[in-house]
Amino acid sequence: MDWLFFTKVLIGGLLSGVMYSLVALGYVLIFKASGVFNFAQGALVLFAALTFVSIVEGFGSKAPGDLVFWIAMVLTLVAMVAVAIGTERFVLRPLVNQPLIVLFMATLGLNNFLEGAAQGIWGNDVHRLEIGISERPIDVLAALGLSATPSRAASTSGPPAASAPTAATAAAPAEEGTSPDDEEIKIEVVETGPVVAQSGLLVSQFDLFAAATAGLLVTSLALFFNYTRIGRALRAVADDHQAALSVGIPLQHVWAIVWAAAGLVALVAGLLWGSRLGVQFSLSLVVLKALPVLIVGGFTSIAGAIVGGLVIGATEKLAEVYVGPLIGGAIENWFPYAVATLFLLYRPQGLFGEKIIERV
Amino acid sequence: MTSSGRVIGDVLLQVDNISLSFGGVRALTDVSFDIRQHEIGAIIGPNGAGKSSMLNCINGFYHPQAGTITYKGMARKQMRPHEAAAQGVARTFQNIALFKGMTVLDNIMTGRLLKMRQNFFMQALYWGPAQREEIKHREHVERIIDFLEIQAIRKMPAGRLPYGLQKRVELGRALAAEPDLLLLDEPMAGMNVEEKEDMCRFILDVNDEFGTTIVLIEHDMGVVMDISDRVVVLDYGRKIADGKPDDVRSDQRVIDAYLGVSH
Amino acid sequence: MRMAADTFPKLLLANAVNRGTRPAIREKDYGIWQTWTWAQVLVQVREIAAGLAAVGLKRGDKLAVVGDNRPQLYWAMAAGQCVGAIPVPVYQDAVADEMAFVIDHAETRIAVAEDQEQVDKLLVIRRKYPTLATIIFKDPRGMRHYADSGLLSLEDLQARGREFLASHPGFFEEEIGKSKGGDVSVMLYTSGTTGQPKGVMLTYDNVVVSARNAIAFDRVTADEEVLAYLPMAWVGDHMYSYAESYVAGFCLSCPESGATVLADLREIGPTFFFAPPRIYENILTSVSIRMEDAGWLKRKMYHVFMDVARRAGIRILDGKTVSLGDRFLYWLGEFLVYGPLKNMLGLSRMRLGYTAGEAIGPDIFDFYRSLGLNLKQLYGMTETSVFICMQPDGQIKPDTVGVPAPEVQINIADNGEVLVKSPGVFVTYYKNEKATAEAKTADGWVHTGDAGFFDADGHLKIIDRAKDVGRLNEGTLFAPKYIENKLKFFSYIKEAVAFGDGRDYAAAFINIDLAAVGNWAERNGLAYASYQELAAKAEVYDLLQECVEKVNRDLAADPRLAGSQIKRFLLLHKELDAADGELTRTRKVRRRFVADRYTSLIDGLYGDADHAHIETSVTFEDGRKGIVKAELAIRDAARMAPAAEPLRKAS
Repeated sequence: MDWLFFTKVLIGGLLSGVMYSLVALGYVLIFKASGVFNFAQGALVLFAALTFVSIVEGFGSKAPGDLVFWIAMVLTLVAMVAVAIGTERFVLRPLVNQPLIVLFMATLGLNNFLEGAAQGIWGNDVHRLEIGISERPIDVLAALGLSATPSRAASTSGPPAASAPTAATAAAPAEEGTSPDDEEIKIEVVETGPVVAQSGLLVSQFDLFAAATAGLLVTSLALFFNYTRIGRALRAVADDHQAALSVGIPLQHVWAIVWAAAGLVALVAGLLWGSRLGVQFSLSLVVLKALPVLIVGGFTSIAGAIVGGLVIGATEKLAEVYVGPLIGGAIENWFPYAVATLFLLYRPQGLFGEKIIERV
Repeated sequence: MTSSGRVIGDVLLQVDNISLSFGGVRALTDVSFDIRQHEIGAIIGPNGAGKSSMLNCINGFYHPQAGTITYKGMARKQMRPHEAAAQGVARTFQNIALFKGMTVLDNIMTGRLLKMRQNFFMQALYWGPAQREEIKHREHVERIIDFLEIQAIRKMPAGRLPYGLQKRVELGRALAAEPDLLLLDEPMAGMNVEEKEDMCRFILDVNDEFGTTIVLIEHDMGVVMDISDRVVVLDYGRKIADGKPDDVRSDQRVIDAYLGVSH
Repeated sequence: MRMAADTFPKLLLANAVNRGTRPAIREKDYGIWQTWTWAQVLVQVREIAAGLAAVGLKRGDKLAVVGDNRPQLYWAMAAGQCVGAIPVPVYQDAVADEMAFVIDHAETRIAVAEDQEQVDKLLVIRRKYPTLATIIFKDPRGMRHYADSGLLSLEDLQARGREFLASHPGFFEEEIGKSKGGDVSVMLYTSGTTGQPKGVMLTYDNVVVSARNAIAFDRVTADEEVLAYLPMAWVGDHMYSYAESYVAGFCLSCPESGATVLADLREIGPTFFFAPPRIYENILTSVSIRMEDAGWLKRKMYHVFMDVARRAGIRILDGKTVSLGDRFLYWLGEFLVYGPLKNMLGLSRMRLGYTAGEAIGPDIFDFYRSLGLNLKQLYGMTETSVFICMQPDGQIKPDTVGVPAPEVQINIADNGEVLVKSPGVFVTYYKNEKATAEAKTADGWVHTGDAGFFDADGHLKIIDRAKDVGRLNEGTLFAPKYIENKLKFFSYIKEAVAFGDGRDYAAAFINIDLAAVGNWAERNGLAYASYQELAAKAEVYDLLQECVEKVNRDLAADPRLAGSQIKRFLLLHKELDAADGELTRTRKVRRRFVADRYTSLIDGLYGDADHAHIETSVTFEDGRKGIVKAELAIRDAARMAPAAEPLRKAS
């Protein structure tokens, strides 16, 4: 087994997993606070990305890029908060004390509304989104001062990045002397996954940036939830609505805050995914990848969303590379659902979810 | 904590001709009574007499169709639960409504939420003052923990505690709001004798040390008679007696209600 | 003026000067550890002492102290000593009647109590013994309406003390100057298994010198962290918490409440920990339960590395040779299991741990030692200011209590009883000449009441209560409880009764443990319908014979006990039961009663037949009585040659 290659696939998988986590996070927030699976989370992502990119394009080149970026960021954030407050006021508040299925249906409607609104306001063209982070890979080993010597690289880098198709094309060509059976593995190296160059492990800057952003977001959310009184109020509401009311927690404010937080997460996810896939309607479909993540990690845990994302990301890439060739390849797309199904069978609450104990 | 002694004062809560019905079912019919400051008042009655409905009206969960509730001199028809909380009404629930996944400490801290800086949205921006405020509230909560002798379970998730302790924690959360009026919904239900004695002691101590006015509901007459100043007896949604425990105990209508004489 | 620090008041003054800014005592209150430095403690003690003087405490008076371990109560003891009074700490969980005996016997006029609970008890006592004039309480909660006379909060007492000091400057220091090493410093009532408690009077010299010796023996420093959570009335707490902290100058921490001790332990992380075996047992049980409930991986790791620890841990701790592989595994285990475990228990900083009070099971003892915790045994009693024998580092055996502590002389009487002479030997029992004369010879030797002997390394081995030890006809010591305990360490054996005094050889009745043996039977495919049937099975006899022979091997290792190996045994057909009078209510075997009841079985053990017949009346669970007849098999167990003999032959 070639460990360097394995590591490279693993890291690629973990990094793309972070992107899934980002989307899953939005669901977790709202599920925690209201017990509802928010069908509209995908629409929120699309709405945020479209709003942002339209504002940027609206400025054109009238202002310096950095400034435009931040202005657009703030304006989009304001829009997301407005959406959150609107949702609470016009969708959730009238539905207080209704069964959860009613709330779920309401989010379905909200989903359609937001998708329609986003495209109605900003049009349905495909927009390019540039957030100024290069996809160019950097050598992690070198950066850590662990650069492998050429001779070692030659002896250890087994299956080369035969064709690193997308952004990571800077990868060095294959080493000579690669054994033929290695060639057979048709490696569809993940779009931006790390590639092994002569000098070692290459990882896309963008991926690192995305991971750092996600890490920062999760840390701040976790701190917010655990150490502020608003966070405490959020947890209280999530736990027991009636008790929360009786100690004087205004449910409406809490919901608005949760939706605003979900909007913020959607914005970040929208920007990162949008700059990779382009901002278009199909962006709202990235949420499909969040489902297995939620099932693996558990619907109620922020940590679960992260770990679930990493697990799904890593297993799907590893399966693609190591298992895929054995059964005809291209399993990356359905493999996460298979993992999720296993979890549903053996650990339905997910890795971090609360154990579901029905009292009889 | 204030160390007001215990002198029965003016009327704090006045209930006038309250009627409440759910669809065709009448839960309360024309009920009137009052509760004075620093008093321990009990509402008793057989199961289904309308005791919990009465409490829910006072606390704003239910809105009676007729009658007024005058609290702190202000008559009102409708009040939402969190508004009631803001005006110093705290309560516990018959079926314990703790935040089960949160620690005992966090549970009691939620009781302080209303005492904290008013603007809910601004806290994140004022980290320093917010933190100082948090410490101040934590100190208060620690005094309650000390008062209720629950130091050992401070960091335990509330849902994992035995029933009797959950009741005590719920009392702690209600106390954290420094209420003027404390509503206790069957505080001793499902407890063994020792737990009941403890709870009685805590109720008396709360009333004594903080001067809190307490309204409690029980269907078990025994304990209530020992700790209450006055007792209101409900039966089938109507008030059938109101007075000092001894008078109520010897009231023929009360005896009938408890012995199940048909009307 | 320089004084030799031979009394606690003088030690307090010295500590306040030499380490005034260092922490002296801590208490967790309102969720926070509140700390007082030695200088601050001096201020508090001075005020309390003056306050006590103001309410009439005189030199030589007794001062009762009742409550959980609280800084204020420790200060009250010191304050009493400062004005020449004798503190009498009282067990806080004693019921009013027990407390009344002590209060009355010690003629206490002033008591310092922790809270309402204790005050209520004292008020009840005062109705009968009105001499208890003044009750001071620390925590005023719930006592707002108490109108009893002579009831005073500690706060008020300290205020009175400040006034008193203003009008009597120099009073405090003058009084301290009067204290001498030979004065009685404390009176500790021993619970005593029979009769009324006895008040053991210990002088400053007893306590301070003993503490100083123990500190030197274990190299205790001023930097230790110690948790004070055992009853203040127990001599163990008095020596380890109060005396050693004053002498060594370390900081004492008081837990928030009785129920929080384990959590507080984790926060304090004591370097020096003292506990009776029960505590160690409870901790181990909770660990075992948690591990059985833990996930698969955790459980597996725990079991694998605990095996490593059992194999290598103790040897490493004792500085013996261990293979490189085991050393590595142990290191790995420390990282993965032992370290986190110790951290969770709050024992990761423990440099020195003691257990005393009663015998600790070797499994429990070894468990802690194998984790790398330096747990040691100690032998002592109130009458000797605790320290008689201590285990030196690196020479720890689970079945001995170590070598004589510094300045302690030990003599073994002809009947095997351990006699002790030491600087810690008490003056007298208060107002009990007769008991004093029984417990102490004219030239200062204390009868411990325990039988024991020194092994080849000079370590004392306690085998039984001296009055229970007998002799076989050929002269060998016969220590029934020692043998029974050895048997009971096997999980298959629930109860055992050994016979041998005045007989030709030792023999035993054994009660199998239904749960453990039943489990074993299930695993081995043995069917049984009742206790009686299970106990009569030959396979079960085989199983138990192995246990008995293991005990014999142990006994054979000791030349003095080799003769008392079990020659014949039988498995009783029913469990010994308190309802039948065979056990006391605290589940101790009533040996004489059992011997009378089962005469025919004993005759069988000392006859030649391989079975014996018995008819007994039993009480069923529903209270009905009945007669049970049984034919019990009797087995001969192999007896080993004494260990010493082959050696002699070989040489």
